Parts: sequence; structure tokens; C-alpha cells
Amino acid sequence: MVSKRFITKRLLLLGPVLFGVATLVFSILHLSPGDPAVAIAGQRASQEFVEQIRSNLGLNDPLWEQYLRFLRDTLMLDFGQSYQVQRGTAVSSILRNRLPITIELAILGQLAGLAFGLPLGIISAVKQDTVTDHLTRVGALAGISVPIYWSGPLLIVLFAQVLGVLPTSGRISSVYFVEQTTGFILVDTLLNGNIDAFWSAARHLLLPVVVLGIYSMAFISRMMRSSMLEVIRQDYMRTARAKGQGAKITVMKHGLRNAFIPVITIVGIQFGTLLGGSVLTETVFEINGIGTLLVSAIETSDYPVVQSTVLVFAFMYTLVNLVVDVTYSVFDPRIDQ
Amino acid sequence: MADRCNEPSRRGFLKAAGTATLATTATGSVAGCLGGNDETDDGGSGGGTLRYGRSAHSATLDPQNTTSGEVSKVTNQIYDGLINFQPGEAAITESLATDWSMEGTSVSLTLREGVQFDDGTEFTAADFIATYRRFTDEEYEYYFEDRSAYGSFTLGNWIDSVEADGDYSLNITLTQPYAPFLRNLAMFASVVLSADDIESGFDFDTDANGTGPFQLSELDDANGRIQLTRNSNYWGDGPQVDQVLFVERGQNSTRAQALVEDELDIIDNLDPSTISTVEDADSAAIVNGQGINIGYLGFNQSQVEAFRDKRVRQAISYAIDTQSIVEEVYDGIATQAGQPCPPALFGHDDEIEPYGQDLEAAQRLLSEAGYGDGFSFTLTTFQDARGYNPAPLPTAETIRTNLGEIGIDVEIDDRQFADYLTYLDEGNHDAALAGWYTDNADPDNFYYVLLHPQVSSPEGQDWVDWDTEGYNTSNRTAWANQEYMDLIENAQQTAAQDDRRELYHEAAQIAHDEAPWVYIDYADEIRGVSNRVSDYSVAAIGGPFLHLVSVQ
Repeated sequence: MVSKRFITKRLLLLGPVLFGVATLVFSILHLSPGDPAVAIAGQRASQEFVEQIRSNLGLNDPLWEQYLRFLRDTLMLDFGQSYQVQRGTAVSSILRNRLPITIELAILGQLAGLAFGLPLGIISAVKQDTVTDHLTRVGALAGISVPIYWSGPLLIVLFAQVLGVLPTSGRISSVYFVEQTTGFILVDTLLNGNIDAFWSAARHLLLPVVVLGIYSMAFISRMMRSSMLEVIRQDYMRTARAKGQGAKITVMKHGLRNAFIPVITIVGIQFGTLLGGSVLTETVFEINGIGTLLVSAIETSDYPVVQSTVLVFAFMYTLVNLVVDVTYSVFDPRIDQ
Repeated sequence: MADRCNEPSRRGFLKAAGTATLATTATGSVAGCLGGNDETDDGGSGGGTLRYGRSAHSATLDPQNTTSGEVSKVTNQIYDGLINFQPGEAAITESLATDWSMEGTSVSLTLREGVQFDDGTEFTAADFIATYRRFTDEEYEYYFEDRSAYGSFTLGNWIDSVEADGDYSLNITLTQPYAPFLRNLAMFASVVLSADDIESGFDFDTDANGTGPFQLSELDDANGRIQLTRNSNYWGDGPQVDQVLFVERGQNSTRAQALVEDELDIIDNLDPSTISTVEDADSAAIVNGQGINIGYLGFNQSQVEAFRDKRVRQAISYAIDTQSIVEEVYDGIATQAGQPCPPALFGHDDEIEPYGQDLEAAQRLLSEAGYGDGFSFTLTTFQDARGYNPAPLPTAETIRTNLGEIGIDVEIDDRQFADYLTYLDEGNHDAALAGWYTDNADPDNFYYVLLHPQVSSPEGQDWVDWDTEGYNTSNRTAWANQEYMDLIENAQQTAAQDDRRELYHEAAQIAHDEAPWVYIDYADEIRGVSNRVSDYSVAAIGGPFLHLVSVQ
């Protein structure tokens, strides 16, 4: 069992991490060029008008005062209102809308990565140095090397434009309006009982999930292969085989659990990478998750949205790592000692 | 595809200068894709859904909280102004006001009776007064703190008082005679909100209640969509369709692809490469309209001493090959400019020819000014395409190459748009690529807003210091030519259009000769339109007039 002390310690560490991220993002935003007041006011505004906006937003206050105010508001979970992306709307409400979109994409990408990466890794290990193994390894290498901003457009051109079998952008066909319950479009379409909408959403998500999943799959299969190879050589595996147990059962029953431990770490780190990858994937496939939200907010100097989005990214990344560590210690109880 | 309910029918290609209308035959129907595609109750209208694809989603639905054209595309369907622009024309026409007169500083308007907001309340003069006060009056209890710059730019700076004379008559007193005022009433920011809503805390950012041809049905921020349904009580013609769906497709290529694949009916913000996608398609066509905008290079005379000599400015105007920029870099989707006011407006003088490239003249003028050995400056530009400049970086590169030929060394400083605006507003640029879309289709919106400093020029000098109190930073040049300023002020206060035309033509000649800008282009308004669509006209001001459009 995972000790409470272990989890408490890790949870307490969340504070300093988020504080560091908050400070960093605040500093970078305020040091970078571009005045949000000018962006809000637009080209038609007089200098007085811009000055008034600056004053209303507190941008004329000393930087340390703005910083303390930002920390205080963040602590109280008050993320403020969007300057530009959705003017006047509470950032918390924008995030509530957008976050499930990114999480859904990352989870599906991860599941796709696991579904293909694990078996490929195992097969590659069991059939070491065969053609299958070589092909899998080359495929994995290619998967890791190909950046999302290349594979995304390539798949769009192939499946959407040349073959015309899949949509190029968005999460669902523009004709379907689905009542939002969970924010996960596949779940919401099913909850609404609208199968046509569900298929539309599934078809729209297929390419982005594949693009996200390719990288994850490649990484997982490589890790699974080397981990499994190491486990296969262990004494207990030889003993199991010596006792006459079938090769398949030996691998699946004794090998898998032990080989899985390092893979879990990778899966955790990968999930963080997938969240980061969502910025690119969402941009390529024009999906309005927090990745595209962040990009639009940076472009328009929408400070509250940038700050909150980066914090949410950091929080999720840290949280996923915590979950990984906990899972890790479930598989190997020595970890939390 | 689940959402592809209509197969391409035949190739329709229409390209026309000026206001163009698509009237093509198309087969198929969207029935079954969306509800409400049946015959409508006004008989004769085809109903159906019109899907409008654009590059960005609306950041708000409040017309007083934005300067964004993306917002106005939607709010113009929901709300009406007292006055409107004629579809596809620069002229104005009646809307919630049926009649008006303007003499000196007095404006009287007769309002339309029997018009209802979506919630059933009747429109009266009190609604306009509350709308005006929310936008401009700090004393008003419901004054909108976060209002856009249009509050003062459009109404506040010009209106002294507004009074109702009964429910259907308004008397407005202006702060000074101001000829463009009626056009300001037609701007999207001047549309009429309901007084009841204003005074009851209605959330204008996410909800809408207007008198226009369509009503808000769904605001789907998560998927960048807005669905409108027809207002069956609309006082005017149409709407012809039952629903309008605004769909965000950020990338030009995917937007064009969606049009070609019949997922969208009208798309805007096209660049040369996506135009060819639409041109090559059988299911859609490109429709061209004359734009009301200008793209230019502005010399900051407050920052660079060399630019204070008009011979240097003229030399640069002669050296830059604007014809090549328009034809090669912009792929012919713009026309070469030679004066501040675009040809669609009466302030444009057809007699004035653009500067043609003449390197000898350029070199001679430069030598006469004492810069025969050249000099250097930094050219600031935004990075991403805008309507009046579809390719800012290649434009800057062309300028650098052209000026290199007369010994002027140009360094390019490209910036994100928000950063670019800040940089220019502070007057930090040596010279900048800039541009302007019209607000009210009046020549004053170019001549006064962009080249009048709004402060007086020092004796014997035709430029001002950027930091002069009250300086109009929309004038990116610090140019302050007294003769020009007098003409523009005079035109602003002259009622008769023929008299104004003469004044503006005189000002155009001065602006051409003095060359405070290198006039680059007037860009066309370009749309991709599906063959299912008929009666759509490209509008450079107001609109899009989607209530007049039918789909088959």
C-alpha cells in the first residue's frame, strides 16, 4: 500500500512547484513586449483611452503590487476575466469549457499509444532480432522522430484531402449541437443519445488522436521492449519455463507485471508530453482546447488567460506525476519505503 | 461524410469588380442536416441553413465591447442601427430611423414604429438614448466601463445631447458641424440595444436581444460556433434562410477546403493560395468586391530627420515598385494606391496617378536632399496577413530590395500585432507598414483620422513632435501640413457632398505630392461562395447582409 506520508509529502510539494511556475509566467509576461491595454483598445483609441484601460486593469501599479495581487487572487482561485479571447468572461469558466477538450484528446492519445505500444513492445522483445523486431524498432524510431507539426498536416493531406475520408478540423461537424454535460464530446454525444453526432465526433477525433498516439506508441513500445528483454533474462522467468509453463503464460503472468514498472514512469511523463503536444495538435486540427486557448491568449496579451492556462498545465503535469508515483509504488511496494 | 449532405453540382465561377452577386444554379438540399430546413412560413423563401466560415470566433456578442470585425459580422445580423449601409454600397439607407435631417449641429430623426426586440418589447427612442448613454455617459448609472474606443470615436466626441420627442422622434445636438455623423450612426458599434436590458444587468457578452433579422440561438465557444435563427417578426425584407451558422476555421486552407467540400457556404479572409483552391473547385466560386481600405508605408517624421524632407519621401515613393507588390506579391487581389482615400469613396480623385517606379528620379531627389550616399532606417511591420496587406513580410522584403537600389539600407523589424500596435502608438518606429479598414465609409475616416495630427503644427514646420499633448497617434507619420489640415477640417464641417468632394480632391493632391506615406494598395474584398448560395453581395462596409441571401 502507498503510505499516506508519501502522498502528503508529494501533495505538499505541489505548492512550491505551482508557486515557481506562477512567478515564472508572471515575470515572462510582464517582461515581454506588447501592452494589453493597447491590444484591448485597438487602433481607434486615443492615448487617454488606452491610459484609462491601463489604469482600470491596474497595469500602472508597481510590478510587485500586481504580482502580490495575482498571487492572492490565484490562491483564492480567482483567475480574473479574459481581456481579449472571450472578453469579460471569467477565466475559470473558459477553462471549464476548454480543459475537458484537451484532457479528452490526451487520454485518447495515451490510450491509443498504450493499446498499440504495449503489444508491439512485447512482441518485439519476445521475437528479438527477427524481422518483426527490426520493423517494430524502425517504426518506433520513426514515430519518436516525427514531430506533430509534420505528421499532422501530412495525415490531413492524405486522409482528408487526397482520400477525402476524414474531416480536417474541429471536433464535430458544424451541424450538430450537443448539450455539454461532461465536456468530453464522445461522452456527451452518447449521453444525448445522438449516435450520428457521436460518429461525427469520433471521425473528427481520429486523426488528432493518431497523431498524438504515434509518439506515445513509439516511446512505449521501445520502453516495453527493453524492459521486457531484461525481465525475460531473470532467473524467475527461467524457473517458470523450467517448470514447464508455456511461453505465453510465462511472459504474460510473470514478465508483464515486472516489465511494466519502468513503462509506467514513461506513461506518466508521456501524458505530460501529450498535454504539451496538445498545443500543437489542437493548432494543426483547429480544436479549441487549452492549447489553442494559450496560443490565442499569448497573441493578444491576454494576461489572465495566459497565467491561468500555464498554471493549469503545470498543475496537471505535477498531478499526473504524482499519480504515476503512486501507481509505481503499487506495482513495486519498495518504492515508498 | 456525415456532414456532407450536398454533393457538388457544377462549376460556377463568377468574378466581377464592384458589387457582385452570385446567382448560380445548384442541386441538392441540406434537408436532413439541420432542423428547420422546411419551407418557411412567409411563403416563397427557401429556408435552410447558411453556413458562414471565418477565421476567428467572436470574443463577445456585445457591440459596445469590441472593435473587432469578427464580432460585428454576427451582431449585425442580430441588431439594427438607426441607419444602415446599403448592401454592397458606401451609401446609407434607413433602418430603425425612417427619415432624418441634419442642419449645422442639429440632427432630427424619425423612428420606425412597430418594431420589436426579440423578447417582445417595443423599440422606442428611449432605447437609443439608453444605448448612447451606456456607451458614452459616465454619469449614467449603467455606464459601461469596459466599452470599446468606438464609444467616443463614433458618438461621444461628436454628440452634445440627445433628446426624445415622444417615442418615435429623436433630436441630437452635435458638438460641432460634422458631416460624417449620419454614417457614424450606421456603424456596427452604434446599433440599438434594449433599454430594459441595459438597466436590468443583461449579459451582452454572451446573450443578445436585438431587432435585426436573426436571433441568437446557440453560442458554442468550445467549438467556435454561433447559431442564429430567423426573426419571424423582422420589420424588413427577409430573412430568406431559417438559420445562419457562423463557424470558426482558423486556417485559410481548411476554410477553403471546407467550402469546396460543401461543409460551408460562404468564407472570408482568403489569401492568394486559398483563392486558387476555390477557383479550381466545381462547387464554389470566388466573388470579388471593391474594398474600402488602404495599405501604406508611413514615415515617422518625429523620429527620422531625413523623412522631414519631402524630396526624401518622394524619392522613396518613386523607388518602391508598388505595382509589382500589388501584382506579384498580392497576386492581383488589390489595386495600386496613390492617395489616402480609396476609389469607392467620393473623396478619391481619379485624376491622381500612383507613383510609378522611377529609380532615376528617386536618385536625383535623394541627391538634391543631400542624401545621395543613402542612409538607413528600420521598417516596422506586423507579421501576419491583414486584409489591406495580404503579405506583410514579402512586402517589407520587396521594399528593402527596392530601396537598396538607391543606397537606402532598410532593416526589417517584424512584430506580433499587439506588440506592433504598442510600438507604433508610442511612436518608436522609423517607418512602418500600416493600413486601415473604413469604419463609416466616409472620406473623413481616412483623411482626418489617419493624416490629421489633431494638434496644431509649429510655425514654419509641417511635422509635430510625437509626444505633443493630444497628438493623434493614428497618424503614424507626425506629418502636420497646415494647408491639408485646413482643407480636412473644412470638409468635415461642410454639409454639401459636392463641396466636400472638391475639398478632399485638393487634399488628395497635397497628400500625394507631399508623400507622408508611400501609398501601396487598396485591397479587394474577396469571398468564397458555394453554388448553393444566391443573392449574396460582398459588402466592404456593414453587413454581411445575410438576411438577403438564399440557399438551395
